[in-house]
Amino acid sequence: MIKVDEKKCLGCFSCSNVCPSQNITRTETPELRSVHWKRCKEECDLCVEFCPAKALTLVPYDESCPEPTLSFDLVACKICGSRYATEPMLKRIESSLPANLQKDSTGLDWIWVCPVCRRNIEAERATKQMVLGRSRKSP
Amino acid sequence: MPVYVDISRCIGCRSCEVACKRVHGGSGHVNVHFAGDNASVPVFCHHCEEASCTMACFTQALHKVGERTAFDVEKCTGCGLCRLACPFGVVWTDKIAHKCDLCEGRETPACVLTCPANALSLDFELASRRARARAALVAAHGGRR
Amino acid sequence: MGIEYMPEHPASEGSLCSKGNAALEILYHPDRLRTPLKRHGDGWARITWEEALDLTARGLGGPLKKYGPNSIGFFASSKCTNEENYLIEKLARVLGSKNVDGCARLCHAPSVVGLNRTLGAAGMTNPIKDLANSKCIFVIGSNLAENHPILSRWIHRAKDSGAVVIVADPRMTHTAWMADVFLQLKPGTDVALLNGLIHVIIKEGLIDREYVAKWTRGYEELAESVRDYTPEKVAEITGILAGDIVRAARSYAISPASVILYSMGITQHTTGTDNVQAIANLALICGHLGREGTGVMPLRGQNNVQGACDMGALADFYPGYRKADDPETIEYFRAAWGVDSVPLGRGLTATEMIDKAGTGEIKAIYIVGEDPANSDPCSQNVRAALDNLEFLVVQDIFMTATAQLADVVLPAAAWAEKEGTYTSTERRVQWSAKAIEPPGSARCDLDIICEIAKRLGAQFNYPDAASVLAEINRVVPQYGGITRPRLDDFGLIWPCPNLNHPGTPILHTQGFKFSEGRATIVPVSYKPAAEDSSWDYPFILTTGRVAVHHNAGSMTRRSPSLLEREPNLFVEINPFDALRLKVADGDEVTVTTPRGETVAYARITERLKKGVAFMPFHFPGTNILTSEVRDPEAMIPEFKVSACKITRRD
Repeated sequence: MIKVDEKKCLGCFSCSNVCPSQNITRTETPELRSVHWKRCKEECDLCVEFCPAKALTLVPYDESCPEPTLSFDLVACKICGSRYATEPMLKRIESSLPANLQKDSTGLDWIWVCPVCRRNIEAERATKQMVLGRSRKSP
Repeated sequence: MPVYVDISRCIGCRSCEVACKRVHGGSGHVNVHFAGDNASVPVFCHHCEEASCTMACFTQALHKVGERTAFDVEKCTGCGLCRLACPFGVVWTDKIAHKCDLCEGRETPACVLTCPANALSLDFELASRRARARAALVAAHGGRR
Repeated sequence: MGIEYMPEHPASEGSLCSKGNAALEILYHPDRLRTPLKRHGDGWARITWEEALDLTARGLGGPLKKYGPNSIGFFASSKCTNEENYLIEKLARVLGSKNVDGCARLCHAPSVVGLNRTLGAAGMTNPIKDLANSKCIFVIGSNLAENHPILSRWIHRAKDSGAVVIVADPRMTHTAWMADVFLQLKPGTDVALLNGLIHVIIKEGLIDREYVAKWTRGYEELAESVRDYTPEKVAEITGILAGDIVRAARSYAISPASVILYSMGITQHTTGTDNVQAIANLALICGHLGREGTGVMPLRGQNNVQGACDMGALADFYPGYRKADDPETIEYFRAAWGVDSVPLGRGLTATEMIDKAGTGEIKAIYIVGEDPANSDPCSQNVRAALDNLEFLVVQDIFMTATAQLADVVLPAAAWAEKEGTYTSTERRVQWSAKAIEPPGSARCDLDIICEIAKRLGAQFNYPDAASVLAEINRVVPQYGGITRPRLDDFGLIWPCPNLNHPGTPILHTQGFKFSEGRATIVPVSYKPAAEDSSWDYPFILTTGRVAVHHNAGSMTRRSPSLLEREPNLFVEINPFDALRLKVADGDEVTVTTPRGETVAYARITERLKKGVAFMPFHFPGTNILTSEVRDPEAMIPEFKVSACKITRRD
């Protein structure tokens, strides 16, 4: 059965996606994500292999062991406030990318901004000149 | 080498969105953004040289193939790290990830062909060539039309 | 089954708008009508084709016998093929009815009347790709970036070669983004603007004297009639700066090749015909016709509204624009069709047919592929009128609001499920092949019309569309040489009178088809729109379209891809007005005109001036508000101007 290292789990749902026997369930609300690992007798190790954080290990089946559940608050976007990711996932992104890629041309820490706002910022940057040019025309 | 947009030509008709969605079985990778009432631009995958989505992908499902950022769906576990790693917000994850694949398997990307205003192109010089040509004409007429 | 782009096409170069890309969602929609239906209490009973066709024949034939042929009416479809439109108008006329018309009545009827009178032909004078050759492009009353998106690539090419673009519209639309000069005029003041431009051009000596002398008649009266339209006076009427009027006039006149593109903003007015004639006048005095890069371009909306008009599915014209009130026309078709008689005289237009349905003079109507309950103005009156008919049969691909009112509904095949020719806005006739089977037991309109005709005593023996086209080749001179074998590539542009003729992309290259080859200049004077803002109704409401929807929305509101991009009816309001109304973006508001009220979501935008509001008509509700007042000649309703008030819904 599955043992979870709480300090490493990202709350990414990868293990739940790859488990062939639906032993790992998850819930997601606008504010919260949680993952629940049921006791399992299967000896496949897909969840262990496909955990990006290597947070899972397999241990011998033990009826008395509680089934772990972990919950993560979703972090709010710095700009619009919508909740879009777990904190461990965002920290993981920080550690995967070189420092020079983590701030955009205006110095914004875009990792802490949600994908929708990121698209908006990119669109605004791209259209800035055009908007200036065209709004000078309107009476 | 992404799809480039000649922003002076985008008319905000959203054909690129619908075409991309149609050609990819219902999951599109283009979003047209409107800058107030004055301009619009489709936001696509930039196929970055230093692609942060490939750096975050722990199975290398996302990887570079030459200039293109490619995606091997077999390796994807749906972890969603790529979505958070893209600085432009153009990687989506439902059960698995999806992003612009430059319409692999087609000669020309659908969005490029469908754009009524001919605003999209794989030629990164096109927009600036057109702008330079227009500027040259204005200059030739002494700055007036 | 899929969609592929056609980069070799001369007009589109393969590009396709969002609606085209969503075509399969519409063709394969579960709501497609699959069997004939008969009204049964509050619902519908499925019936066989035999029963449906018999009921239809009796429903139309009964009043025909009892009250005479002019007690029945026919609405032809601007989405159906030329062959189908030809058969509908032929059916009406061989049965003795004058009452056949189509939705051109709601869109370009003023162009048909006005351009036939001034230039002798009603259609875009130059082809689409010719726009790239223009040096000054004047767009008035058209939001082509959203509604004819493919034209944008040609306009941008023209701009890349130094063309100046002038856009006149009450709203700063996506089309206005292309403009070098933007003339934001008050809705309904187009004649004032156009006469103002003509005034400046004449005063500054910028007319093409040679052209006027050789190819026009009526210049002196025009010059006299625009004497008072000074830039200052026009500025007062339209709200445009006098300096911009002068700039626009000079650009248009001085450029070596200028073109005028126009659409509903010009036609859908009580002065629609005047507006069109003013445009023709402007082009004529500057000689911007008959050459590359010039032209007067009515932008036709539906895929085959041009063809439907060419085929005479109009109350005032027989096929080929022969006038219905000309005895020579009657004699010609009587002989050509081999019948004892065909009716002489202008019949009831679509809008008048609805009126007469309401009064009971029209007893039965056969509607093909049209949705007047949603697309005609003053929806309550339309519904009441259609309800009042003794018999209504609707032939369509979806259960539209109009079909809901019918006694019999006939399921028809859509464009990809049948073959035939369509004529695009640039007068290009193209053959469209059948690609898929229609759903259920839906049948192609050609077959249905023939079956109904036979049951009513008309001998319509046409095994396929090509056989109808062969007859069209004989009776419509403009289509004389447009035969099936010649349509395998990208079609032919009419007039194409014989088999050796290559087609006529540019009209009027050798003058006009009036005596001495002279076009007719028809002076017009500015008359205000039928309604203006008042204390009770302080806004001017104008209506129009958005890129992702089509007309009354019966198809596009059923496409998930399109609907998610524009899901709800909205009303655009200027921020200053919104502040006074205490309305925020996204609030639900009630819009009220003297006709009725509708609820919509407020969209606060600076693209309109204060006191002007805009609603798209793709959602039911907009046409509850619009006015039935019409252009007296063309009979088109004034969709573009209604006085309204807006209140927040709490």
